Amino acid sequence: MAESQRLTEMELERALRELGPRYPYPPTPNLAVAVRRRIVARPVVPVRPFALWRGPARLALAAAVVLVLAGAAALINPTTRDAIAHFFHVPGVIVSRVSPLPSVSPVTPLNLGRRTTLAEAQSAVSFTIAVPATLGAPDAVYVATEVPGGEVALAYTPRLGFPLVKQTGLGVLITEFRGDLIPEFLTKEVGPSTTMEETSVNGDPGWWLAGEPHLVFVQVSGTDYQVQLRMAANTLIWAHAGVTYRIESGLSRADAFRVAAGLP
Amino acid sequence: MEGRPLDDQALVERARTGDVNAYEALVQQYQQLAFRVAYQVTGDAADAEDAAQEAFVNAYYALGRFRPGAPFKPWLCRIVANEARNRRLSAHRRIALAERAHQAQASGEAAPSPEAAAEAGEFRAALLDTLARLREDDRLILSYRLFFDFSEADMAEALKVPKGTVKSRLSRALTRLRAALPADFQIASGGPVDG
Repeated sequence: MAESQRLTEMELERALRELGPRYPYPPTPNLAVAVRRRIVARPVVPVRPFALWRGPARLALAAAVVLVLAGAAALINPTTRDAIAHFFHVPGVIVSRVSPLPSVSPVTPLNLGRRTTLAEAQSAVSFTIAVPATLGAPDAVYVATEVPGGEVALAYTPRLGFPLVKQTGLGVLITEFRGDLIPEFLTKEVGPSTTMEETSVNGDPGWWLAGEPHLVFVQVSGTDYQVQLRMAANTLIWAHAGVTYRIESGLSRADAFRVAAGLP
Repeated sequence: MEGRPLDDQALVERARTGDVNAYEALVQQYQQLAFRVAYQVTGDAADAEDAAQEAFVNAYYALGRFRPGAPFKPWLCRIVANEARNRRLSAHRRIALAERAHQAQASGEAAPSPEAAAEAGEFRAALLDTLARLREDDRLILSYRLFFDFSEADMAEALKVPKGTVKSRLSRALTRLRAALPADFQIASGGPVDG
């Protein structure tokens, strides 16, 4: 022990700086997924010109916010959430009406899984992949095996009668997955300018979402499957025998149903 | 978002218009800092995670009130610290933090070599222990400056105190830390405390 000297402020500072990188913090959890989920369930009221906040418009907006909050509470409460999923009858899909719809920046490329062949995709999923006769063989096939039961995406490039969809860069995108295994796989948030029609597809209950793009949130709870959030174009979605089918395109209702007729 | 990543200000501006992806980029960037700041207050990983998550969600909804051009980091940290305080530890959990710091120190790093390393290890353990028992505002200002390398302006913003008082507060926190250290460690390189 050398000469006696009180530890100076500077020495103490230095000791603390050295301690910083060794501080025994627990590992940082990934907060982004949970935060995103909560925000999507309760979209922000965007910054608007002051005038909108006067008079009846303000009341209307306040009422809309209350509705959104009620919807968010429903999504967060597991019991109610099950009830919503059940109410909409399409396994693997939760659809809710929100106002206003949050905006997201475009995601490129679309995260559809691994590019593969139809035959290989078939061996990797637990259901029979259906290809619509009206469209024929897809231009590209993707498979996501992290999704329980597997998910297949059939991509068709734009062609005559199948216009380019800005949100996907494709003409038609068909996805198929075991909705019965992943009840919360897709969450769809539909804004005021999107039509939301409960319908029947080949005798099974489904949804036709059209007009302004809606927001789709894809996740597999409790896994490290990469969560996605993007805007989606016109979508026809239904389920048959545990498999959920989704057609996203720029097609009219009648044309989308024509494609669906070639699927189960 | 091609090329270089957007800076905080651009991301905040996008997030203010409801762009969830832009906000997620901010969450990714600051989640470690937020969690650690919260942990400095709560001393409990689960509470810190809850506090940080809640803070990010609340900050998102408060973006409309965020002053354009202001730095995002200290503003976020202020919200995090408030959320963490709401989950403030009971006294015995704070002691648990000190114990955990001890254990981590004991089981942790491979000591580089002989007595000097052992002494340094003991000093670190004493520092951790004392920090954990310090007043929360002292621990926070020391962490901001010495662990997270905040500027004085950022500290003032994060702590919501006048910029001119940051230095003196930091100095007082250091003095209290030193006084709270075990007597053996209040000296520079060994030897008795003078006076």
